[in-house]
Amino acid sequence: MNSVILSTVSRLITGLLLMFSVFLLIRGHNLPGGGFVGGLVAGSAFVLQMLAEGPRSARHLLGIDPGRLIGIGLAVAAASGIPALFQGTPFLTGYWDKTVWPVLGKIGTPLVFDTGVYLTVLGVACLIVISLAEEDGED
Amino acid sequence: MGQLSAIAIIVVFAAGFVAPWLHRRLGDRCGIVLGLVPLAVSVLFASMVPTIAGGGTVEFRHDWVPSLGISIDLRIDGLSLLFLLLISVIGTFVVWYAAGYLHGKKDLGRFYLYLLGFMGSMLGVVASDHLVALFIFWELTSISSYLLIGYYHKNARSRAAALQALLVTGSGGLAMLAGILLLGRMAGTFLVSELNALDVVELASRPGFATILVLILLGAFTKSAQFPFHFWLPNAMEAPAPVSSYLHSATMVKAGVFLLARLHPLLSASPLWMPIVAPVGAATMILGVVMGLGQRDLKKILAYTTVSVLGTLTMLLGFGSEAAIKAAIVYLLAHALYKAALFMTSGSIDHETGSRDPDALGGLRRAMPFTATAAILAGLSMAGLPAMLGFVGKEYFYKALLATEGPGILWETLGVSASVVMFALAATAAWKPFFGQLRPTPKHPHEAPWTMWIGPILLAAASLKTGLFPDIAGSLLAQPAIHAVLGSSEHAITLKLWHGWTTALALSGLTVALGIVLYALAPRIRSFATRLAPLGNCGPERAYELLLAGTLGFADRLTTALQNGYLRNYLLTILLFTSALILWTLPSDIRLPDPDSLTTIRVLPVVVCILIIAGAILACLTQSRFTAILALGVVGLGVGMLFFLFSGPDLAMTQILVETLALVLFVLAFYRLPVFKNFSKPGVKIRDALIATAFGAIMTIVVLVGIGTGTADKSVSTFMAENSLPLAQGRNVVNVILVDFRALDTLGEITVLAIAAFGVWAIMRVRPRSNSRKKESE
Repeated sequence: MNSVILSTVSRLITGLLLMFSVFLLIRGHNLPGGGFVGGLVAGSAFVLQMLAEGPRSARHLLGIDPGRLIGIGLAVAAASGIPALFQGTPFLTGYWDKTVWPVLGKIGTPLVFDTGVYLTVLGVACLIVISLAEEDGED
Repeated sequence: MGQLSAIAIIVVFAAGFVAPWLHRRLGDRCGIVLGLVPLAVSVLFASMVPTIAGGGTVEFRHDWVPSLGISIDLRIDGLSLLFLLLISVIGTFVVWYAAGYLHGKKDLGRFYLYLLGFMGSMLGVVASDHLVALFIFWELTSISSYLLIGYYHKNARSRAAALQALLVTGSGGLAMLAGILLLGRMAGTFLVSELNALDVVELASRPGFATILVLILLGAFTKSAQFPFHFWLPNAMEAPAPVSSYLHSATMVKAGVFLLARLHPLLSASPLWMPIVAPVGAATMILGVVMGLGQRDLKKILAYTTVSVLGTLTMLLGFGSEAAIKAAIVYLLAHALYKAALFMTSGSIDHETGSRDPDALGGLRRAMPFTATAAILAGLSMAGLPAMLGFVGKEYFYKALLATEGPGILWETLGVSASVVMFALAATAAWKPFFGQLRPTPKHPHEAPWTMWIGPILLAAASLKTGLFPDIAGSLLAQPAIHAVLGSSEHAITLKLWHGWTTALALSGLTVALGIVLYALAPRIRSFATRLAPLGNCGPERAYELLLAGTLGFADRLTTALQNGYLRNYLLTILLFTSALILWTLPSDIRLPDPDSLTTIRVLPVVVCILIIAGAILACLTQSRFTAILALGVVGLGVGMLFFLFSGPDLAMTQILVETLALVLFVLAFYRLPVFKNFSKPGVKIRDALIATAFGAIMTIVVLVGIGTGTADKSVSTFMAENSLPLAQGRNVVNVILVDFRALDTLGEITVLAIAAFGVWAIMRVRPRSNSRKKESE
């Protein structure tokens, strides 16, 4: 699948897709978007990279083992529930800081949770697609 | 003081968790340091003796799961304190002993983790007042016992024994949990102290109490290796000696007896108590010693005598009279002291000579003077000879038997026979290896390191000391425990070594005389018993094996039937099962929606629907895999489009992205598949088509019914929509539900997603290449 057109376009679009995915993640709490969709968009960015340049390049771009990314994502999501325990409220109760930050908006534990979802979904997408493609490439 | 005892239990667990680290730092010496923990704990509990002996209790309460009414209630009374001291004192010696016995083992740190974990759980069992907490600690002891029996995990027998112990005690534990929950419901409390203070006679006469009694007894009987569940205990001797000494003689197996004693005031009010408990105990008592006679292994002999003693204790608790309880407590204390010591000395003999066969050992007293001293003292106590606590225990045992009503002299005969065999076995285990001629052994015999004889010597000395001056132990330890079991403190209890010329003493004399005769015959009995070994195949253990093999065979057949490797069959199973469930739950009078109430049909959705249907039909009919995938893509994107048209942008976005990724996955998987071939016979195809159509029809009906009822409860969605902003600071309800209202579900979902991804990864990576090729070419 060595196509000059695809690899040129993917260079432009991968970055845009990644930015878009973060945008979706952040705005998700108020407008359509969120960690799940964001993670899928980011995953498709790496899939595009992989189709254009091969699995090794996609792995290099990701910079971290997808399996490890899944672990980090799950840990972040689970950790976001812990502050609630210190307040004596049930696990995963949301807590928000009232200050409104530029770009990010309000920050709270649900945003951290959503980031965990984002990372997990991204890791899952990359792990499945890359391991399928790698097996393929080696044959 | 209550808080301190709670901290003590936590510290024991914590010490277990630092043990692997400590072992890396200190090597084998870590055991000596770790032994200081139970030592400190035993000092703490010893300091409670005056309070408890004065009739007081030490209590501590911490609400654990307040919504379920479960709390960690520690309540230390006489019975608890006796066990707490046994557990921590013997625990100290066992930890030290293990340092010598398992010297140089690489995973000694892990061993201490399990051992101290067990110790903490056992302390929890005997100190808990809340039955649910007690049950949790109880199960923890089963699990740590499993890990400890399986310590030599490379040995298949060891693993099988560990599993057997876990399954037997675990199933009993489940029955007990049911019993506890029923009891708590009936009585309105889970606290032992409150249960025993209720109007027990009234409670016991209620219907259903018999069920509770039987369920709780099942838990106690499996744990304390009562007939017919006794077989796991001798098999558990695959464990290293310190484990056998600690778990399978002095402490864990007594948990069942402890529970019987703990709940004695309540449970013994049932008319079924004595007819069930006493015969089971008596049968176990006799069976244990008889089986013990035939063993050619010091550890097995000790194991069977432990089974016998557990039976004796159960029988005494079954009698339930004051004399019987008194005998049970003294007997229990005596047994814990001598049996822990004997297990350790037999382990030392094994460790230093390489043999455990009583007929192959002899004359070791010069080579192993300290071990010999400890073993002989402990053996005297086990044999029930004067000046030892075992003698005092046996005297009270006989007095209890004489005081019990029974057909003729049944109980007395059974009790004396068991003691006679016990005498012979004590001589075999404690006397025979050390006297007579020195026999050649696999290893050149020499004395064990100090860590391995200090414990047995001190325990044996304690047997002697408490035997000579029984009233010290009597007033400080036994009396409060007996009062706790009886549920009253009316009678002062004094223990005496000398009772004068009584019937019990005469029976003791008879026991010794017959015991010496039996000991002389013992080697012949052992060689005769070897020939009887095949008889063991028809015992309760055979039932266990058949049950286990049957369950595994059934699971195997079920798995092969359901997980047959054909995706088509999986789908078939899922669709049929779902259809059946839906048809079962659908109301009998289906009300279809009124056509007038539906919104007008718009053009665009209809076009999309036609595309979806066309895509689905094409996917079914095409002979090209690529076309099929594209056609499925049309279906998926069409559904995404419908989400858009009916204002669900989040859903639509997700659907389209998933569809895109799935398409890529399909294409990637493509290369790995063989040429498309048509294997299905026409009949199969028609069947599949019928099932698929039926499922589609059912789903359509479900949707129509959903619209038709119209009265669907919308309170949940209204709540979500209204509270999304005020409660969760977000305007996107879908996202707020995902990350806030239902965040725990999402956490579960992404975990499932992660597991699925690793599953795919494993299929691609881990399967051997040649194998995977072969499978595909098939």
